[in-house]
Amino acid sequence: MPEGDHSAFGELNMKLDTEVLIIGGGILGTSVARELSRYRVDTTLVEREVDFGWGSTKASATVVCQGGDCLEFRKEYRNSRFVWDSIPLMEPLCRELDVPFKRIGSLSLIRNNNELVKYQKMKNLADKYLPDLEPHQWIDRDTLRRIEPHLTRDVIGALYDPKPAVTDPVRLSIALAENARENGTNIMLGTEVVSISRGTDSFEVQTTEGLIRTRFIVNAAGVYVDKIAAMVDADEFVVYPVKAWIGVLDKKVGDIIRHVVTARPSRPGELIFVNPTVHGNIFFGIPLQLNKRGDYSSTRRMSQAGFATIRSLVPDVSEKDIINSFAGYIMYRNYELGWHECVVAASRKIPRFINFCIGFPGVSAAPAASKEVIRLLSSEGLQTVEKESFKASGRAIPDFSEASDEEKKKLIQKDSRYGHVVCRCETVTEGEIVEAIKRGATTMDGVKYRTRAGMGRCQGGFCSPRVARILARELNVPEEQVTKKGKTSRLLLYKSKELLEGAVNEPA
Amino acid sequence: MNLHEIDVAVIGSGPAGMAAAVRAKETGAKNVVILERAEELGGLLHQCVHNGFGLFYFHEDLTGPEYAHRFIEKTMDAGVRPMLETMALNISPDREITAVSNKNQFLKFRPESIVLAMGCRERSRGALNIPGTRPAGVFTAGTAQRFINVEGFLPGRQVVILGSGDIGMIMARRLTLEGARVEAVVEVLPYVGGLIRNEVQCLHDFDIPLFLKHTVTNIYGERRVEGVRVAEVDSRMNPIGGTERDIACDTLLLSVGLIPENELSLTAGVELDPVTGGPFVDGARQTTVPGIFAGGNVVHVHDLVDNVTWESEIAGESAARFAMGERIPAWAGIKLKAGRNIRYVVPHTISGNEDVTLYMRVREPEQNVRINVGDIAGKSELIVKPSSMLKIELTSEQLKKLGKNVTEVVIDCQKWGGK
Ligand SMILES: Cc1cc2nc3c(=O)[nH]c(=O)nc-3n(C[C@H](O)[C@H](O)[C@H](O)COP(=O)(O)OP(=O)(O)OC[C@H]3O[C@@H](n4cnc5c(N)ncnc54)[C@H](O)[C@@H]3O)c2cc1C
Repeated sequence: MPEGDHSAFGELNMKLDTEVLIIGGGILGTSVARELSRYRVDTTLVEREVDFGWGSTKASATVVCQGGDCLEFRKEYRNSRFVWDSIPLMEPLCRELDVPFKRIGSLSLIRNNNELVKYQKMKNLADKYLPDLEPHQWIDRDTLRRIEPHLTRDVIGALYDPKPAVTDPVRLSIALAENARENGTNIMLGTEVVSISRGTDSFEVQTTEGLIRTRFIVNAAGVYVDKIAAMVDADEFVVYPVKAWIGVLDKKVGDIIRHVVTARPSRPGELIFVNPTVHGNIFFGIPLQLNKRGDYSSTRRMSQAGFATIRSLVPDVSEKDIINSFAGYIMYRNYELGWHECVVAASRKIPRFINFCIGFPGVSAAPAASKEVIRLLSSEGLQTVEKESFKASGRAIPDFSEASDEEKKKLIQKDSRYGHVVCRCETVTEGEIVEAIKRGATTMDGVKYRTRAGMGRCQGGFCSPRVARILARELNVPEEQVTKKGKTSRLLLYKSKELLEGAVNEPA
Repeated sequence: MNLHEIDVAVIGSGPAGMAAAVRAKETGAKNVVILERAEELGGLLHQCVHNGFGLFYFHEDLTGPEYAHRFIEKTMDAGVRPMLETMALNISPDREITAVSNKNQFLKFRPESIVLAMGCRERSRGALNIPGTRPAGVFTAGTAQRFINVEGFLPGRQVVILGSGDIGMIMARRLTLEGARVEAVVEVLPYVGGLIRNEVQCLHDFDIPLFLKHTVTNIYGERRVEGVRVAEVDSRMNPIGGTERDIACDTLLLSVGLIPENELSLTAGVELDPVTGGPFVDGARQTTVPGIFAGGNVVHVHDLVDNVTWESEIAGESAARFAMGERIPAWAGIKLKAGRNIRYVVPHTISGNEDVTLYMRVREPEQNVRINVGDIAGKSELIVKPSSMLKIELTSEQLKKLGKNVTEVVIDCQKWGGK
C-alpha cells in the first residue's frame, strides 16, 4: 500500500518505546529531529500525512533569512531572536543538505515621505540589532528602475536588505528528515496522534498505527499544536489560525521580479510580498483572514485581494500568468501581536513536554529555534551526548533541468531513464521520479514536491498519467491505488468498462 | 542518417508534424526527421477514439487513431526518420537543437531548417483560479481522455464538466458510454464553446444537462472531490448571488481552452502573437526566425484536423525549400490586420504573389455577416461563432487587385448591408 512507512511497527498496533517523540513532520519537527540526531538519543518522529512538509510548510512563500525589517521584528519578541540567529545558519544548512538556496535580497518600497521616516528608523534599528550582518542600503528611484524595471513607478526609492534568500521549504523538510533518518531517527509517516496519557515518568501516545511510549514529547504539530497540547493539559497558550493565500505566476514571467519586494503594510502584521522562487516562478500575496482551521480552500475574495496586491506593486502582471494559488495557516500566538510571537517553551505544568510552534516565519526561524528546543529538552532532563558517527551531509535528487549539458550527458549515460522526460513543463525525467520514489515518495504530490513533476504551467495535465503509471510500477501496486496525497485521495476510481460490468466496488 | 546531415527537423509527430515531414520529403528535402517525445508517432490522435477526422482531407469519416495510422504509413513510406522518445529541450536562434532521449541519449545538431509542430496544451485549474479545496479528482478533459482511452482507467462515476470545448463534450459522451453519470456541462458563455456537431451528438443525444451562463464557484472535498457549487453569471461573468446550487460529484473535468505550446519556440527567439499564443507567421509559415517554420495547433488552435494538416503541409514545403537553399525573405510582405469582430487572422503576412488560404476567428457570435478581405474578396456567412474557424481562399489573381504599394489589408466581419 502506498500509505507511508509502517516499517517501524511491522504489524499494526504494536507498542514502541522511544525516548523523544516529535509530533509533526513540518519544517519545525524535521529540524528538531535532525538537530537531535546529532546526539545519542532514541528519537521517533510521527507525521500524520504520508510525507513531510504538507502542513503550513508547503504554503510558505519560501523566503528565509528575514528579520532585517526591524519595525516588524522587534527586540521584545522572542520570535525575532530565532529569526535573527538563523540568518547566518541557513545557507550553510542548505548547502550541507544540498537544498536549493538563493540569496536575492529584499527591497522595501518607499512610497511617500512618511514611509521614508519609518524606514530610516528601521535602518537604525537594524544597524543596532544586527551589527555583524551586512547592512541595509538606500536605493534611489533610478537605480530601482534599473534593477527592477517592472515595479510600479509610484515610489521614491527603496531600502535594500542584502540578506533575504529563497529556498524550497518542503525539500528542506524532506532533506532534514532523510538526514535524521540516516543518523538513526525512527520516522513514521501516515501516523496520526489521537490521544496522549501521562504516566509518572513517561507518556503513552496513541496513534492511528499503534501505541508509542516516550519520555519526552516535542509538539510541532503546526496548525494543531494546541489540540495536541490539550491532550495532556499542556495548552497554557492560545493560538489563532489565520488563513493566508499565495498566488503563483508562470515561469514565463519569472524574471519580472528579481528580489523579495515588500511594501509597508497599511495595518501592522499585514504581509505584502512578491518574490521569485528558487524554481523560477513568482509568488505573491499574502491576504490574511482569521478562519476556521482545516479549510484550505482558496476563496474568490482572497485571490482578488492577492491580485490587487501584486498589481499595485507590479502593474504589468496579467491575470493570464497566474498558474496556481494555494492557502495555508499562520498561527497567531496572540491576536493583537499577530504573527510576531511564537510558542517555543517547555510546558509549565507538564514536565518533559515542549510546545514548538512558529506561525511566521517558521522556515526562517527553524535553524536557531530547533537548537533552542534541544536546550529546552536538556533542561527538562534529556541527556545529550554527541554521537561521533553523525553524518551531516545529504544529497539531493539530481535535477536534470538545472544540470549543465555535460552533467546531463553523464546522467543519461549512467541511467537511460534520465533521457526520458516525463514532465515537459518542468523537464523532469523518469530517472528523477524513480529516485524520488526510492527515497520515499508514495503519492503524486510526494513526487511533485521532490521533483516538480506536475508543478509547471500545465499543472500535471500531461505528466499525471505517466507519473501514476511509474508510481504503480515502482511501488508494485495496481494503478487505481495511486493517490494524490495519501489516504482516500485516489486518482482513478475504476478501470475502464468496470462500471459497465456491474461489479462495482464503492470507492474506499 | 548522420545527425549532422539533417535537412529538415520537425518537432512533434501529431497530424501537424507528420504532414509537414511528409510534404518536406515530397518537396525534395533529403534527410527529414521527426522528434517525438512519446513512444509512437501520432500525438494526441491516439486518445481521440471518436470519429469525425478526415471528412475534408480524406473525404472519409475516420477515428483519431485511423487518421494517425494513415499518416504514420505516409510518413514511413516517404522515408521520414522518426526519432521516438526524444524530447527537444532547446533550440538556439541559429537552429541548433538540444534534445535528450533514452535511446539516442544527449543530442545536439543543427538541421538546415526546422518545423515547430508541438501542438497545444489544455488550460488548467490554476489558470482559472477556481476557488475551493485541492482534492484528487480534478482533471483536464484531455487528461481524463487519455486515462480512459489509452491507460484504461475511469477517473470517477459522477462527473461535472466545466467548459463546453470539444474535448469536454466528447468526454461527456465517452463517460456516459463508460457507465459514469455526467451531472452537468457548465459553460460560462451564453453559447457552447465547441462545434455544433459535438453539442448535438455528444450532449443532446445523451440528454446531458447543459448550463449556459453558469460557472463553478467552489470545489468541495479534502482528499477526493465530493461536489461542486455552480452559479449563474451576469454579463460580466460574475456569479449572481442566490443562484448557487451544489452538485454532488467525485470528478470535475475542465474543458476551458487550449493554449499553443510554445516554450520551445521562445528558446529560439521566435516572436509570439499574444492573441493566438502562437508564433507570428508569414504565408510560407515561416516564423520571425529565418529557417524556423510552424504549423498546426502550435500556431493557433484549430477545430478540425484537416486544417491542421493543410496548414502544416505549407510549413513542411517551405522548410524543404529553405533547406535546399532557397531564401524565403523573413517575414516580409503584406500585413493582414484583424478588423471589426475579427479576433485574429493567420497567416499574419502574405507575399501577395501566391494563392493563399486565410484562417480566422471572430470575437463574438453574429448572424448574417460578410467577411471582407479589404475590397478584393469576401464571403457571406449565416452564423459566425468564435468556436468555428473561418477560412477564406484567395487566388493570386484576386491578390493582384491589391496593387503594388499596398502594405496592409484589413479583414472585417460586417453585418449584411453595412459597409
Ligand atoms: C501563506 C504563507 C506564507 C508563508 N511564508 C513564509 C515565508 O516566506 N518564510 C517563512 O519563513 N515562513 C513563512 N510562512 C510560515 C511558515 O510556513 C510556518 O511558520 C512554518 O511552516 C511552520 O512549520 P511547522 O513545522 O510548525 O508547521 P507545519 O508545516 O504545519 O507542520 C506541522 C505538521 O504536524 C502534522 N500534524 C498535525 N497534527 C498531527 C497529529 N495529530 N499527529 C501527527 N502529525 C500531526 C501536520 O500534518 C504537519 O505536517 C508562511 C506561512 C503561510 C501560511
